[in-house]
Amino acid sequence: MAAASPSQRATSQFLRRLRRSLPWYPFIIINAVIFVIFNLVPWISMFRYSVLKTDLLSTREFVGIEHFVTMLSDAKLHKAMLNTVWFTVMYIPLLVAVSLGVAVLVNRPLRGMKTFRALYFLPNITSVAVLALIFRRFLSPRPDGPINFLIGLVGIPPQRWLIDVNQAMPSIVGISLWEAFGYFMVIWLAGLQAIPSELYDAAKVDGANGWRLHRYVTIPLLRPTAAFIIVIATIGALQVFGSIFILTGGGPVNATTTVVYQIYSEAFNFGRFGYASALSILFFAIILIVALIQSRYLRFGEDVY
Amino acid sequence: MSVSETSGASVEKPNPVRETIIYILMAAVAITTVGPFLIMLSVSLTQDIRFITFPIELIPSPVTLENFQTLFARTDALRWLFNSVYVAVISTLGGVITSSMAGFAFARGDFWGKNVIFVLFLGILIMPDTALIVPQFVVLSQLGLVNTYTALIGPWFASIFGTFLLRQAYLSIPRDYDDAATIDGANLWQSWWQVLMPQVVPAMATLAVLRFMGNWNSFFYPMIVTSQSDMRTLTVGLGTVARSGGDAGLDMAGAVIGFLPTLLVFVLMQRYIIRGISLSGVKG
Repeated sequence: MAAASPSQRATSQFLRRLRRSLPWYPFIIINAVIFVIFNLVPWISMFRYSVLKTDLLSTREFVGIEHFVTMLSDAKLHKAMLNTVWFTVMYIPLLVAVSLGVAVLVNRPLRGMKTFRALYFLPNITSVAVLALIFRRFLSPRPDGPINFLIGLVGIPPQRWLIDVNQAMPSIVGISLWEAFGYFMVIWLAGLQAIPSELYDAAKVDGANGWRLHRYVTIPLLRPTAAFIIVIATIGALQVFGSIFILTGGGPVNATTTVVYQIYSEAFNFGRFGYASALSILFFAIILIVALIQSRYLRFGEDVY
Repeated sequence: MSVSETSGASVEKPNPVRETIIYILMAAVAITTVGPFLIMLSVSLTQDIRFITFPIELIPSPVTLENFQTLFARTDALRWLFNSVYVAVISTLGGVITSSMAGFAFARGDFWGKNVIFVLFLGILIMPDTALIVPQFVVLSQLGLVNTYTALIGPWFASIFGTFLLRQAYLSIPRDYDDAATIDGANLWQSWWQVLMPQVVPAMATLAVLRFMGNWNSFFYPMIVTSQSDMRTLTVGLGTVARSGGDAGLDMAGAVIGFLPTLLVFVLMQRYIIRGISLSGVKG
């Protein structure tokens, strides 16, 4: 047999590689198909529909970048963005403080500690629909409603909660906090327990104790955990929807209309699927930018997987 | 100093006063998390209760199942319950198996496009799902899949997070196992199913629990892809109950039905849930 030419050698190499590759594809084919149908195609359709005016039924009209121009003057959208920021700004610091506080509280070798941790996790295991069913009743504006009665015990007059323009969003923050703190407590605990006790011993030998022990050992070593928590909690907070959908429907007077609720509403209440697609692009960009800025600022994500 | 589950900072001399204060604080927090569920249960068993009013008797007299009967009679709750169980079970099984397969391929495979696909998957993982809900609905409605189990289960039939989780699990198994299987004449499927997969069962169990809970509790997506009452999952159906403004007793009966299955899974599978969170948290 004559010496193979370079192109022949490349071909045979290619065939060998292909033969080695083929048996592996069946292992990822289902993932790939699901990915194409439920992610890639919707992803493409999001961009295609963002330049259309359509209700998916009769109308279908090319409008170019009109939707993106509309966004600039859409007062409801601006209100929704402010609401989303307002929710996040109230929620994140509270969440970080409460979940860390509780984690420190239960990070001790005391009897029954595991049970307490499990009880704190309880609100997190259930669905937003169940939480909404419960808290719609608890936050009743009646003077003898559960929360109003309890605050009455310390002399605070009954409040209107979910039906009050100023109190609706803080109420949603409270419910979200109640639901999530147990989850973040677990992450804090994992971070706290990953700190080797030798470091504390070493610091003690160097004369540190009490607060200084935390200042120079605990806090610096919890930094990656804190960064992780802030980033994922923020991404979650920007997407808050279920509790708002069930409890307030975006009201009263749009006081709890968040960006996600606005997208939902444009699509499913008004049938503006083109505009809703354009808003989805905007929303995705916002989340991406926030996540990137936070990751960079918090120096998180050196090791993604 | 004893080795404990806790970090060194809190290992101090036992101090009874301090300990009592800590227990009081912990109990106070526990009351806020458990109390609402106890009241939920109590109200659901109370006769003719229009509103929840305080002070409340925790043990109703008489105890009645009337609210549950009314709920099942007046709404499609039984059907929603069936839908939720069906969708959650199929989604969990499907998602865990496909993750196990893909995780194996990404850990051991040597195939064309591996890195490109891997990075694409990573891209989806960091993508917020809510941003994609409207386009997903558009695509599903064009495919005629709205109000079908295919739509409810579809996206759950593969898990990118699960693929990464299991890839890590497979990577921790020494290559010797693969080599031994190959020498014994096993093909890829056999070495996956018979040799490697049995060793990642704990990771698969963790994933299964997380997927089941996630699917059971999901709200936005199943709400969007179902408009007929008989295709709703329990959470979506309960959302409509909450918005319909019925009796408190009825609402709480619905809440109990939605809560109990997750409570059961949590009690039985707690350690897998906590492990799953710690994994995603620490790894993150």
